[in-house]
Amino acid sequence: MTAAVMPLAAGELAAFGKDPWWIILIKAVAITVFLLVFTIFNVWFERRVVARMQHRVGPNVHGKFGLLQSLADGIKLSLKETIKPKGVDTILYVLAPIISAAMAFVAFSVIPLGPEVSIFGHRTPLQLTDLPVGVLFVLAAASLGIYGIVLGGWSSGSTYPLLGGLRSSAQMISYEVAMGLALVAVFLYSGSMSTSEIVGAQAGGSAVDIFGVTLQLPSWYGVVLLPSFLIYMIAMVGETNRAPFDLPEAEGELVAGFMTEYSSMKYLLFFLAEYVNMVTVSALATTMFLGGWRAPWPISLWAGANEGWWPLLWFLGKVLVFLFVFIWLRGTLPRMRYDQFMRLGWKILIPVALVWTVFVATARATLSAGYQRQFFFGIGAVVIVVLLLSFVYDAVAARREKAEEVEREEADQVEFDPFAGGYPVPPMPGQKVPGLEPAAVAVAAASAGAGSADSSGGAGAEGAGQQADSGEERGRG
Amino acid sequence: MTSILLAQEFKSPTIEYAKVAPLLIVFGVAIVSVIAEAFLPRRFRYPTQVVLSLGSLAAALVVTVGLAGSKLLAAEGAIAIDGFTLFLWGTILVMSIISVLLLAERAVDGGVTAFAAQAAALPGTEAEREAQARRLEQTEVFPLFLFAVGGMLLFPAANDLLTMFVALEVLSLPLYLLCGLARRRRLLSQEAAMKYFLLGAFASAFFLYGMAMLYGFAGTISFSGIAAAIGAKTGVDGLLLAGTALVAVGLLFKIGAAPFHMWTPDVYQGAPTAITAFMAACTKIAAFGALLRLFYVALGAARWDWQPMIWVVAILTLGVGSVLALTQSDIKRMLAYSSIAHAGFLLIGFVGVRDHISANTSAILFYLAAYGFATIGAFAVVTLVRDASGEATHLSRWVGLGKRSPIVASVMALFLLAFAGIPLTSGFMGKWAVFSAAWQGGAWPLVVIGVVASVVAAFFYVRVIVLMFFSEPAAEGPTVAVPSVFTSVAVAVGVAATVVLGLMPEPLLQLAARAAQLVG
Amino acid sequence: MNLYVPILVLLLLGGGFAVVSAVAGSLMGPKRWNRAKVDSYECGIEPTPQPAGGGRFPVKYYITAMLFIIFDIEIIFLFPWAVAFDQMALFGLVEMVLFIVTVFVAYAYVWRRGGLEWD
Repeated sequence: MTAAVMPLAAGELAAFGKDPWWIILIKAVAITVFLLVFTIFNVWFERRVVARMQHRVGPNVHGKFGLLQSLADGIKLSLKETIKPKGVDTILYVLAPIISAAMAFVAFSVIPLGPEVSIFGHRTPLQLTDLPVGVLFVLAAASLGIYGIVLGGWSSGSTYPLLGGLRSSAQMISYEVAMGLALVAVFLYSGSMSTSEIVGAQAGGSAVDIFGVTLQLPSWYGVVLLPSFLIYMIAMVGETNRAPFDLPEAEGELVAGFMTEYSSMKYLLFFLAEYVNMVTVSALATTMFLGGWRAPWPISLWAGANEGWWPLLWFLGKVLVFLFVFIWLRGTLPRMRYDQFMRLGWKILIPVALVWTVFVATARATLSAGYQRQFFFGIGAVVIVVLLLSFVYDAVAARREKAEEVEREEADQVEFDPFAGGYPVPPMPGQKVPGLEPAAVAVAAASAGAGSADSSGGAGAEGAGQQADSGEERGRG
Repeated sequence: MTSILLAQEFKSPTIEYAKVAPLLIVFGVAIVSVIAEAFLPRRFRYPTQVVLSLGSLAAALVVTVGLAGSKLLAAEGAIAIDGFTLFLWGTILVMSIISVLLLAERAVDGGVTAFAAQAAALPGTEAEREAQARRLEQTEVFPLFLFAVGGMLLFPAANDLLTMFVALEVLSLPLYLLCGLARRRRLLSQEAAMKYFLLGAFASAFFLYGMAMLYGFAGTISFSGIAAAIGAKTGVDGLLLAGTALVAVGLLFKIGAAPFHMWTPDVYQGAPTAITAFMAACTKIAAFGALLRLFYVALGAARWDWQPMIWVVAILTLGVGSVLALTQSDIKRMLAYSSIAHAGFLLIGFVGVRDHISANTSAILFYLAAYGFATIGAFAVVTLVRDASGEATHLSRWVGLGKRSPIVASVMALFLLAFAGIPLTSGFMGKWAVFSAAWQGGAWPLVVIGVVASVVAAFFYVRVIVLMFFSEPAAEGPTVAVPSVFTSVAVAVGVAATVVLGLMPEPLLQLAARAAQLVG
Repeated sequence: MNLYVPILVLLLLGGGFAVVSAVAGSLMGPKRWNRAKVDSYECGIEPTPQPAGGGRFPVKYYITAMLFIIFDIEIIFLFPWAVAFDQMALFGLVEMVLFIVTVFVAYAYVWRRGGLEWD
C-alpha cells in the first residue's frame, strides 16, 4: 500500500522532500528566527497601533520609533526571578509553556512563503515542507498547543489559572469546529489539503470582458467563498484567545488566566506562543483565502511579481494586514461575556458554516453535472429560508421562555428583606422595595444597565493597560 | 490517504435500498423520533413516540416478511440478506414490538412510565422530587430503544467485521443508557448502567482487537475473504487463533456466557424490567445470530481450532447458570442466571456441529424464538407484582401469590415450566431440537452435561412454583397491579407462543429449517 | 517519509529554544525567597485550598467536550470527502448531505434540550 502511495505523493508534491540536510537546516533556522523577530516586531506594532487608536503615542524611546522596546522588555523579563509557587505539579508546570511554544513553531512548517528560489545554487521552494494533509497538520499542531494552556492552568494548583485553563480549552475546541467547517469549502474547491497546492489552485482567475477591457477576476477563495472566509476570521480570533475573545486571560476576572502563576521566561514562552499562533493563523488565512504568496491584483500585472524572492514580500504584507485586523479588533471591541461568546460559536457559526458547506457542495455538484443554475439557486433559497426560520424560531422560543421565566419569577416573588443576614442588602432584580416603588424601578434599571456598561468600559480600560507593560504585570513579586 | 483516493477511479457503490429497507425504516424513524423529542411539547411526546415506535417496527416487520426468499449480499457485501437474517429480523422485530408495549405501560405505576422522571436529576435531590411531582417522563426511551433495535437488526446481518462492530456499538450504547433510567431504585439502576457500560466497553475493545488480528491474518475484513484465507494459508495460525479468541470474547460477552457473564445478574436486576425483558430476548437473539454468522461463515474452516474453546465455555456457562441460580433470592437475578443457563444450552447447539451447519442453525433459531417469547412474558409478569416501593422482586414476597392472584401466578408458572423444558411447552421443543442437533454433531458429552444442567435448573424453577402455590401468603404481601392493554397483550402473546410452540412446533421448525442457510 | 523530516528539525529547534530559555530563565534570575511570594496568587486574599488531584469541574465542560468530539469527528469525515468531491459528484453530495442532516438532528436536539446554554 505504501509503495502505491509514495510515487503519487511525490508526483503531487514533487518539489518537496528533496532538499539536502543543510538546506533543511537553513530553512528551519530561518523560520525560527523569523518567528522570534516577528514576535518582537508584533508586540511593538500592536502597542503603537493601539496607542494611535487611543490618542497616545506608544513606546518611542528605545531605538528608532521605539522599535527596541519589546526586545528590552523581553530581556528584562528573562532576568526576573523564576517563581515556582507551592502546590504546583512540577513536571506539567514546567512542560506546559514548552509544549505551547514548541507547537506554535511547528505549526508554521507547512506554510508556503514563496515559489521556488535558488539558495546557494540549489532550487528549492520557499517552504520548509509540505504534506498531502498539510492544513490538517496545522490544525493538529494548534490543537496540541491547547494542551500547553490546559496543563498550565491545571498544574498551577490555583483557582484563577484553573478557571482560565478550562475556559480556554472550552473556547478553543468550540471555535475549532467552526474553523474546520470553514476550511471544508476551500478543500472542495482546491481538491487538496496540501498548502502549496491550495496556493496553486488560487493562481488562475477567470477573465471577463467589460467594455472591451479584459479584467482578471480575483481567484482568491476569500472572495469566491466569502462566508467561509468570514467564519474563519472569527474563529481564528477565538482560537488565539485574542480580544474580543480573550476570556481565558480576562484581567478583570481572572488576573492573567492560565498564566497567573507563571513568571520570567516561562511566562515569556506563553506570551511568545500566543503571538506566534497569531502569525500562524494569519499565515494560514493568507494561504487559504488570499492566494498565499501570489501578488495581489495591481502588482500581479507585472510579469515578475510571482518569481524569485518578491512573493515573500507580498506574503508578509498580507499577514501584516491580518495582524492589523487583530490589533484593530482589540483596540475597538469590548470583551464578550462568556455565554455570548459560546452562543456565537455554537449557535451561529456552526450552523451557518454547515449550511454554507452544503450549499457550496450542492452548487458545485449540480453545476459540474450540467444542471441549470436556477436549480442550485432554488436550493440556496430553500437553505436560506430554513436558516432564517430556525433563527426566527429560536428568537420566538427564547422570548417565550423569557416570558415564562418572568411569570414564574413574579409568581414566587419573595418579600424583600432589606437586612437579610443582618446586613443591609440591595434588592435583587424583580424584588420590590416596599414603599419605594419609583426609586426601586430606577435602581433595577440602573443595575441592568450597569452589567453591560461594566464589561465594555472595563474592557476598554484593560485594553489600554493590557500587555502594555508585559513585564510590570508581574510586579506583585 | 488522499493520494489513494485521488489515484483510483471513484466508483459509486450500489446499495440495495429495497433489501435493507427494514434497517432503514427503523433507523429513519429513530431519527424522526429524536426530532419529535426535541420539538414537540411535553404532553404530545408520549403518544407520538409510542405510535412512531410501534408503527416503524410493524412496518419493518411487514417489509421483512415481504423479503422472504431473498438471498444476496447487499451494500457491496457488507450486509447479508438470507433466510437466516430474515428469520432473525422477524423474531427480533416481533420481540421488540412486545417490548415497546412493556415500555409504554403506564397503568401499573400510577399513570407514568417505568422510566426516570428526569434522568439528569441526581437521585435523592430536590430536582428529582420536583420532577417526580410534576409527573415528568423521560420519553427519550423510545428513540434510544429504536436505535438499539436497529443495531440488533444489523448485528446478525453484518457480513464483514467492521459492519459487525458498528452494529455492536449501535445496539450497545443505547442499552447502556436505557439500563440506567429506572424510575424506582435509581441508584441500583445507575450502578447497573455503569457496570454494563464499563464491562461492555472492555468487551468491545476485545472484539476490536480480535478484528485487527483477523484482518492482519486475512488482509480483509469480509467474512468470505477470511474464509478463503483460512483455506489458502497454512502455518500462520497465531494471528488467526488469537483473533478468533478475542472476537469470541466480545460476542460471548453480549450473549452472557461464562466466564463473561459477570454483568448479567447485576444489570438484569438493576435495569428497568421492561428493558431487562428486551435485553434478555433481543440482545441474546442478535448476538447469537452474529456469533453463528461469524463463526460458521468466516471461521467455519477453522472449526477444529475454536470448537474446544467453545466446549469449555458451554460447560462453564451451564454450570454457572444452573448452579448459581439455585442460590438466588431475587426473582430478577434468578431469571438472569436462568438466561445464562439458556445461553449454555444454545452454545451446545452451536458447538455440536460436524459436517452440516443447517441442522444446528435451525435448532438455534427455533430455540431463540421460543426462549424469547417466554422470557419477555416472564419479565412482564415481574412488572405486575408490586408493593409500595415498586416491583416486589424478592422471592419471599412471592410466597403464596397463587392464592392471591391465581391467574398471574399460573402464567408465571407456565413460563417457568417452559424455561425448565417440561414437555408440551415451547422450551421442551427448543431443548429437544438443540440437543438432537448436537448429538448428531457428535457432541454427546455436552448433551449429557446439558441434560444434567436442565435437571438442576428445573429444580429452581419448580421451587418458585412451589413457593407461589403451596405456601400461605404473607401478611401485607405485594399486590398484583392491573395492567393496561399493553402489558396484557405482551403477556398474552408470550403465553400463546409458549403453548402453541409447545403443542404445534412444526410450522416454526420448518420455517427455521428453511431459513438455516447462510450466504457467504 | 522525507516530507516529515523537516518538521522534526523545526520541532527540535522550536522545542530546543523553549527548553533552553526556560532553563536559562531560572538560572539568570535572582532568587529571593519569601513566603508570600510562593503562595498561589489570589489578589491578596487567603488562597482557596485546592483539592488533591484537581477536584471536580462543572459538568458543562464535559458536555462541551463531548459535543466537540462529535462535531470534530464529523469535520474529519468532511475533509477527505471535500478533497475527493469532484470525483464523487452527485453520489458524494447526497451521501454527505444525509450524514450532515443526521448530525444536524442531534445538534437540534442538544440545542432544544439546553445543552448549548451558558450562564
